[in-house]
Order: sequence, then structure tokens, then C-alpha cells
Amino acid sequence: MKISLFAQAPYRYLPEDFEQHHESVCDVPYSLTTREGVYSSVRDFMDELMFGARSGFDAVAVTEHGQSSYDMVPNPDLVASALAYMTEAEGIDVGIFPMGRSLGKSREPLRAAEEYAMIDVMSGGRLVPGLVVGLSYDSSINNGVPPIEVRKRFDENLELVLRAWKAQTPFAWNGKFSQYPMVNMWPRPLQADLPTWITGIGNPNTMRMCLERGFGFTYLSWFGAKLTGKRIFDRFWEIADQVSVPRNPYRLGFLQTVAVAESDEQAERDYAEHLEYGFRKGLGSIPMEKLGLPGGIDIRGVQALLKDPGDFGLYYQMKTATYRDLVDAGVVIAGSPATVRDQLREFCREYGIGNLHAMLSFGSLPRHLVMKNIQLFSEEVLPHLRDLWTDTGHQHHWWPERLGGSPGTQQIPANTGLAAAR
Amino acid sequence: MTTQPTISEETIGVWDGRITMRVKVAGAGSPLLYLHPAAGLAWDPFLSHLAERYTVYAPEFPGTSVGDPYAIHQVDDLTDLVLLYEELVRKLGLVKPVVVGQSFGGMLACELAAHFPDVPSALVVLDPIGLWLDEHPVANWIATPADRLPALLFHDPDSPAAQAMLALPEDPERQRAAIAGLVWAFGCTGKFTWPIPDRGLRGRLHRISARTLIVWGRQDKLANVAYAGEFANAIAGSKVAIVDDCGHIPQVEKYDQTVQAADEFLG
Repeated sequence: MKISLFAQAPYRYLPEDFEQHHESVCDVPYSLTTREGVYSSVRDFMDELMFGARSGFDAVAVTEHGQSSYDMVPNPDLVASALAYMTEAEGIDVGIFPMGRSLGKSREPLRAAEEYAMIDVMSGGRLVPGLVVGLSYDSSINNGVPPIEVRKRFDENLELVLRAWKAQTPFAWNGKFSQYPMVNMWPRPLQADLPTWITGIGNPNTMRMCLERGFGFTYLSWFGAKLTGKRIFDRFWEIADQVSVPRNPYRLGFLQTVAVAESDEQAERDYAEHLEYGFRKGLGSIPMEKLGLPGGIDIRGVQALLKDPGDFGLYYQMKTATYRDLVDAGVVIAGSPATVRDQLREFCREYGIGNLHAMLSFGSLPRHLVMKNIQLFSEEVLPHLRDLWTDTGHQHHWWPERLGGSPGTQQIPANTGLAAAR
Repeated sequence: MTTQPTISEETIGVWDGRITMRVKVAGAGSPLLYLHPAAGLAWDPFLSHLAERYTVYAPEFPGTSVGDPYAIHQVDDLTDLVLLYEELVRKLGLVKPVVVGQSFGGMLACELAAHFPDVPSALVVLDPIGLWLDEHPVANWIATPADRLPALLFHDPDSPAAQAMLALPEDPERQRAAIAGLVWAFGCTGKFTWPIPDRGLRGRLHRISARTLIVWGRQDKLANVAYAGEFANAIAGSKVAIVDDCGHIPQVEKYDQTVQAADEFLG
């Protein structure tokens, strides 16, 4: 199994009653911050990712959130490029995994392709590119894309990005959303086949696209994996069966918040208040209408969500969730190294997960406790998970060749256009 | 109040057959084209009143017809949309119709009249959107959560007329369908208004040559009453009727006053 360190850059010093007065996105008042608070929140975040890179994780991963207090990362590629150079200079063979460059909001899709190509070059071929449709509020409110166009823009931009990476000769792009008379990126990625991932929260159409076209699929389990995991992962593998794609665990990624301490009791003492801060003031303070603006979710999807909101797990209680609520719902897996590794191993084994993205910093968690969490996880959890799928014979086609993967060699279902193009 | 007339439905293929427009038709007399707001078409007493004197044609916006949600994906931009409605007017055989539009439909009515000045015989717009003033930003109704919409749309959201308009079916399945339909209608019309409901209409309003009445609720919280003057200044010879104690939907919240203003104007 591949195991990444995933991190966000939350502002760590919000007032105690923040969630009673504010939303965490779009119009969250910047007057709540201090210069020092912003600097240390971002500086610590970078240091923590580098500590993870030096601690034996297979990749370091970030994602994209504009105009948000819970993750000050308007473009993950800026962070990824710094990590790419630092790790290359230090000779660390770690994947650089920006999980969610949003193509649904991108008005400059070619720039997204160029940034990833550049990061792949800077890292010597260690980029694991993640693309995402994008959060509704980020695409439409922060970036002005009509909600009903976000998915269509993603679909078109994705084709452009994939083609720009691979094309040997310049081409003209006459899209509905962007037009370029000459696409000829310099540099192109070092990797001939970038192991591309799509990040999502359970839309079956997105899952199907990943399976049919050979992309990896990363599930962000913010809503509580014990509530949502079975339905999401069963759905994924059922679709895999429908499109005759082998159940190779390496095509599936799972992001999970984890809090490790010397004992279960110590984990609660160390992390409880910071987890509550993180989820109450972060996800819990994003109102539902900003996650699904009208037109952003297909009309049939709206009806399905009204009938069965189960994919949203603990979301509706997140604003007041206690540590116990978060643990019980699986929003966080917390405890001693033994507790954590047993739960993670069992969960990943049960649902066929071959890539775990451990989120080890959250909310107001101070630097020294993040570092402790990373160290304990890397020394006492990670080594016990790594062999999970080694005896199954599956190849990891969604990981850079330099890091042991074999991208570009996976079987694509014969009924898709991609197979014909090969 | 008037009694509801018999309403029939016509379906008209437009846009090279790629879109089937559903049009509710009622009444008798010369033609009147009614363009509905962002939430979709709801037949209300105001339309019944108009149907006493006119043959009212009320098309459903592409994507908002039950069972045909993806028609919206056939319309790319505002120019195509206006051409599509002009084609609909021709195919319905409407000669010099009165054109009435409310809110989003008011913007569409103005666009139609500005692109094709000879189409309408007269234009009545009720709190239309389509212009922007920094000092009076138009509220983002699409991003407004459902529980805050009544206060945005009505001066008195507790009034019986407002409550009747906002009522949902009791049957859970039908209720879900109604909510999803409303959400999707906002999404479909939002394609031409998001993120700022200003697609350059101000620069085109001077082309409108039809007699024009601009009706506005004095307490409109979605689009401030100041916009009435903006429309009036740009449309030569237009008349303005301000309705007191009234929000964004005058024909529902202040039916009598709105009907009176429309009747006086239409003669």
C-alpha cells in the first residue's frame, strides 16, 4: 500500500465562537487574522509536509481551496512546486501529489497543465497529478463560473490537459470554454504517462469515468468513513464490475484524518480540542447551499440527495460535533499506534484501498503536536500497513515509475475511446 | 380575483429540432407572450387576468420542463437564447404580441425587444434584472439558502399570497421533485445570470422601440427600486409604476395594484 501525508493549511487562531458568527468560506472575514498567525499557519504547514517527506511517507499531498479559513491553499501547485524542489535537492524519493487542481473552475486550463508539467520536471518525474471538478462555492462564488457549467468546463479542460501533456506536435484547441491557436507546452512532463488521479466524494459518474479511462480515484472521507465508507467503496467496486475493470486496490485512494498518541487516552488529551476546532470551524461552517449551488448538481442528483443524504454522513452535525462524535463516525481515527493501525488496516483491507492519505494536522493543532503525530504515525503505524497488498500480484499503475509504479500499462476497458486511441 | 381559465399546452420544436419548447396557452384575443422568472413557470392569478383579454403564451424556459432537464445544455450563450425565443415567437405565429416578463423573464423580455425591436407591440416588465449598480448590488438569489428566500422575495413573507406561492406539495416524493425542479430552474436560468446578472443589457436597451411599462416593488430587496429609474432612463418614452409595500414579485404580493397598472398601460 502507498501511504501519503496529506495536509491542509488552516488558520489556526480563530476565535472560540467563530462558528456561531461566520462561515468558513467565501465571505469569512480576513480581519480575524493576524500577520503572525497567517505566517505561522502556512510556515508550519510547509515544515510539516517536509517533515513527512523526510519520515518515509510515499508521497506528500495537498489540495486546493480558495477564499477559505480552513485551508489557505488557493493553488496547490505553488506548494507542490516548493516541495518538488526541496525533496529533489535533498534526494528524497517521495511522490509529489497535488490532489485537487480544480479544472471545473479553471479559466486557464493550459496553465494547470503547464504547472503540473513543470512540477514533474522539478521533481525528476515524481509528480502524481490530481484533478478535481471543484467545490461548488470555490468554482462558482470564488471564481465566477456558472454552477451549471462547472462540470462541462471540467470535462473539456480535462481533455485539453491530457492532450497537452502527451502531444508530440503543436495543436490548435477550439473549445467551448477556451481557445488556443497553438498548444505546445515547454516543458512537457518527464513522465511519459502521468499517473493521473481524480478526487471526489462519491458521484457515481465521476467514479465511472475514472474506471473507464484508467484514472485513479481518491475519496475524501470528510463526512465520516464509518458512516459513508461502505456505501462509497461498494459503489466504486460495483461500477468497476459493471465496466469490467479488475478490482485492483491501487486504483483507489482514501483520505483519512488520523490522530496517534502513546495511548487512546493520551490521543484524546492531545487532539480532541483541535479536532473539534478543525471540523466545527472548517467543514462544519460551510453551509450546504455553498457545497451544492443550484445547477452544480444534476437534477437527478438533487433528487437522490434529498431522498438519501447518506453520502454526507456526519456533515449535518459537524458544526457542533464532539470528539466522540468525530471518532464514532470515523471522521477521525484516533488512539494508540495499535488502535490506529488495526482500524486502518482492517478498513483498507475490507474496502480494497491501496492508497491511504493520512491527514495528520487539523484545525488548531500546534506545530509540536503535528510533528508528534507525524513521527508516531511514520514509525509505528505506517510500517505495519505497507505490505497490505504486496502478496496479491496487483501492479500499481497509478504511481510514478521512478517510485516503483508502472503507469500507462493498465488495462483499459475495450469499449472506451481511449482503448481505441492506444 | 379571476377564475383560472382552461390552459392548454403546445410543444414547438426550435433550434434545428434540438429543443422542444413547451408553451402553456390560455385565453382569447390578441397574443401576449409571458416570460417567467428564474424559479420556472407557475400559472398565477395575474396570468389568468391577462388571459381574459389576451391569448397568453407562456413558454417554459429550456431545461425547466418536467422530464426534459438537459435541454438547457443545447443553449450556449445569451445570443443563442434570444435567437431561440425569437424563433419561438415566429413558430407560434405571434404577430406583434404584448411581451410581459418578470425578474429573469423581464431581462429576457428586454433582450428580445432590444435584439428584435419589431417583435413586441408593447413591453411590460416586472422588477426585471439585467442591470448592475455597485451602490445597489443585485442579491444573489441563486446562492441564497431556501429558508432565506421568502424574506428576499417578499416585503411581507408571511402574507397569504406569499405563503401560497411558496407552498410545497405534502407528498414526500412530489415535494422532492418540486424542490429539485426549483433548484434546477435556478441553475438553468443562472447560466445567463451567474455570477453577476449583467450581460451588457444596458448598452442595448436604447434599441427598444415598443411602448414600455416598468413595474417595481418599492421594497424589492433582490433588485433595488433604483433600477426602475435606470431602465426608464435607457428606454425612450417608458413609463414607471412603483408599487408600495411590495417586494420583488408585485403581481403576487400586490395583485390588485399590479393589475391596475398593467391594465391602465395596455389600455
